[in-house]
Amino acid sequence: MKSMTTLSRRSLMAGTGALFGLAGLGISSRAALAQGTALRAAITGYGVLNTLDPARASLVPEFYVIWAIYNGLLKFDDQMQIVPDLAESYELRDNGSIEVRLREGVTFHDGSPLTSEDVKFSLERLLDEELASPNASKVAVVDHVEVIDELNLVIHATGPFAPLLTFLTNARTGTQILSKSAYEQLGPDGYSRNPVGTGPYKLTSWDTGTGLKLEAFEDYFEGAPALKTVEVPLIVEEASGVTALLGGQIHMTSTIPTSDVPDLMNNGNVQVLRQPGLNVRFISINLQKPPFDDVHFRRAVSMAFQREAMVQTVLFGEGAPLHGFFPPLLGDYYTPGENSVTSFDPEAAKAELARSRYAADEHPVEVITWGGGWWKRYAEIFVAQVNQVLGTRFTVGVTDSNAAFARQTTGDFVAGVWGWLGFIDPDEYVGDILHTDGWRNMGKYSNPEVDALLEQARAELDPQKRAALYHEVEAKAIEDMPVIPCFTSNIHNLLAANVQGFTQKPYANFGDQFMKVSIG
Amino acid sequence: MSQSDPVSGGSRSLPARERAGYRRLMLLGGKLLSALVLLLVGSLVVFLTIQAAPGSAALSVLGEQATPEAVAAFERRHGLDQPVLVQYLAWLGNALRGDFGVSLSIASGQQISSLMASKLPTTLFLGAYALVLAIAISLVLGIYAARHRGKTGDTVATSISVLGISMPDFWLSYVLIFFFGLSLGWFPTYGYVSPFVDLPGALHAGFLPALAIAAPMAAVFSRTLRAVLLETMTRPYVTAARSFGLKPRFVFVHFIFRNALIPYLTIIGLQIRYILGGVVVVERIFGIPGMGSFMVDGAFLRDLPVLLACTVTFLAIVVLVNTLTDALCSFLDPRRSR
Repeated sequence: MKSMTTLSRRSLMAGTGALFGLAGLGISSRAALAQGTALRAAITGYGVLNTLDPARASLVPEFYVIWAIYNGLLKFDDQMQIVPDLAESYELRDNGSIEVRLREGVTFHDGSPLTSEDVKFSLERLLDEELASPNASKVAVVDHVEVIDELNLVIHATGPFAPLLTFLTNARTGTQILSKSAYEQLGPDGYSRNPVGTGPYKLTSWDTGTGLKLEAFEDYFEGAPALKTVEVPLIVEEASGVTALLGGQIHMTSTIPTSDVPDLMNNGNVQVLRQPGLNVRFISINLQKPPFDDVHFRRAVSMAFQREAMVQTVLFGEGAPLHGFFPPLLGDYYTPGENSVTSFDPEAAKAELARSRYAADEHPVEVITWGGGWWKRYAEIFVAQVNQVLGTRFTVGVTDSNAAFARQTTGDFVAGVWGWLGFIDPDEYVGDILHTDGWRNMGKYSNPEVDALLEQARAELDPQKRAALYHEVEAKAIEDMPVIPCFTSNIHNLLAANVQGFTQKPYANFGDQFMKVSIG
Repeated sequence: MSQSDPVSGGSRSLPARERAGYRRLMLLGGKLLSALVLLLVGSLVVFLTIQAAPGSAALSVLGEQATPEAVAAFERRHGLDQPVLVQYLAWLGNALRGDFGVSLSIASGQQISSLMASKLPTTLFLGAYALVLAIAISLVLGIYAARHRGKTGDTVATSISVLGISMPDFWLSYVLIFFFGLSLGWFPTYGYVSPFVDLPGALHAGFLPALAIAAPMAAVFSRTLRAVLLETMTRPYVTAARSFGLKPRFVFVHFIFRNALIPYLTIIGLQIRYILGGVVVVERIFGIPGMGSFMVDGAFLRDLPVLLACTVTFLAIVVLVNTLTDALCSFLDPRRSR
């Protein structure tokens, strides 16, 4: 007994000493990330990828990786112009159909050559009802794909559909081209985790919840990528992504918490890439429930808060106020300047409220939001401002994003914060949100005139005429205030000082740049 | 009846021993049974809670572009359109056969048991590391404080304990990262090294997360240890031992420390469940692919099978640890099992 107790105490002490000793040993053996051929590019803010099958992909991080593994028929260049990718050339016919000639000599990761059959298979598969692809709407207008020969094909459309070219790019579209033979061999579930594309990188391992490893595809049609391996860790906490990069564990991140941006801009050891993003943030309201079934109430609320103050407090200045449905980056489609119903004007707001059939505090309004970050702050700033100006008694309801989304899609809400990101075609910002039959029209807005204009715009292939139609849509719809536009946020990437060659695009690109990156 | 029977009094020793054995068996059986009931009730509560919560795995998988048709197809494919009780019984039937099913929304289509096979050892390693650190720290602080009662050393040690209890683990994690990772550069700020691949590396990379989990436990342990040591010091048998002229060090080790061990171990056993809570947060911050992150993702993305598997595993661990603590205390103090 005697020896046992003495021993246990001593050994515990010795054990502690050994632990500290070992910890000390580790320090010298672990060097920071040096230059070389391996890139560690972390996806921050997300911990989950379900699939790398483009037809089944829906989450942003899934596309981050898909963009490295696949190509689309088309792509956006650094100036955001649509250019051929797997297509060598293409021609849009007046009836909406597209003639495509494929590049010669393109091979998939499994060594098989790219043919028209693979394109037909990839696109028509999206329409397969059995698959229930979340990206089916992107090619809903496609009737069938006609194979002319090995390299020539025609995508037949049921009618002119302006967004189709955008939807065929290697962006957040799901229309990336995969190997028909690999898919048939592996089956849907097998393929989902063992993707076979034509892109510059192929998947070598995928550890659920931890990250993925990619390896350069030596036979890539634009030449073998310089960086031979890319590790893509999944870092759920954005703040942890920043500390990981500052600590030398990773080379780049896909996002930065907006609150950290000012500090990081002044840090000479890192590079902050930032630019206005293709996204909109609005207050989603239920037009079928009081008080938001009254147009004057909706307009009053829209005039009762300062959007600029929101940008400063919610995003730490990393964004811009939004007075319409389109982000400024949509160029011709965006209407610059303010308008009377989306400008802060307390007197006008109160006057508008007086015309409403509801008193300020007649109906309780819970603005649903989620988490503890800026989405929550967004709801709080909105509610505080509106309550102060109008004397309403709005409250903030905090839940998680899945619940917030579920409640809005099923109509079980009065108001909530919401927004879309990464969409490139104007139709994605208004078509599904404002059209009576739009499946993202969560507030159930319906205006026959707006519907007619939206359908006309969707079928208009001339960009100028199309832009004019969307201006008309916006001018009409904003008076009804179907959703309350608030702001658009900047997008960010954090890079270590020695990383070069990453070109940031406004739809928040990622994996498509791996092959252009070098580590100095 | 037999106990009060004076006639059988002479031959009582044998049946008494049997009775004791029987009682112990009953005790063990009862514990096992209550553990099973606990697991059953726990899984049912989680099942019903998730069913009642708004949101669905379909929305997690199909994302914001989910059309109602796609959501319906997803739910049909995974049997989520069945009545709740039918779903639960189906799950239970498979779970009893050791099949936790496949993940719905955080690793679509993958076997949960194979996912857990890689995640559970990670968390157990981190938990054990944290426990060792907590015990080591508390032995130093607790014994030091008790032996220097009322002096500056005691005040310092006790203040450190209070600090340990008051600091939330997520905040402490970032403080540790900032100080030891970014400023001093001694430890990695993020990431995980498997102990099966590189043990020194794992101890090095795991030090900050383990310390973040260990800090509040170490504080509780050392306060408890200090209190029971001080209490034991005033016991008559300690005074007697001293009066025999035994050396203070000998008295401390054999009379004071040994007797203080039981309440100390009991507290350790009770606190282990908090490791599981700490793990959930700390794994996230340091990017450790363990059960904690797995469970949190499962909850946020409504992956019911994953959540159930994690809950049952955590419950089983808590039950196991409690039983082990009981056994260890019985071993240290044989009076307990009588």
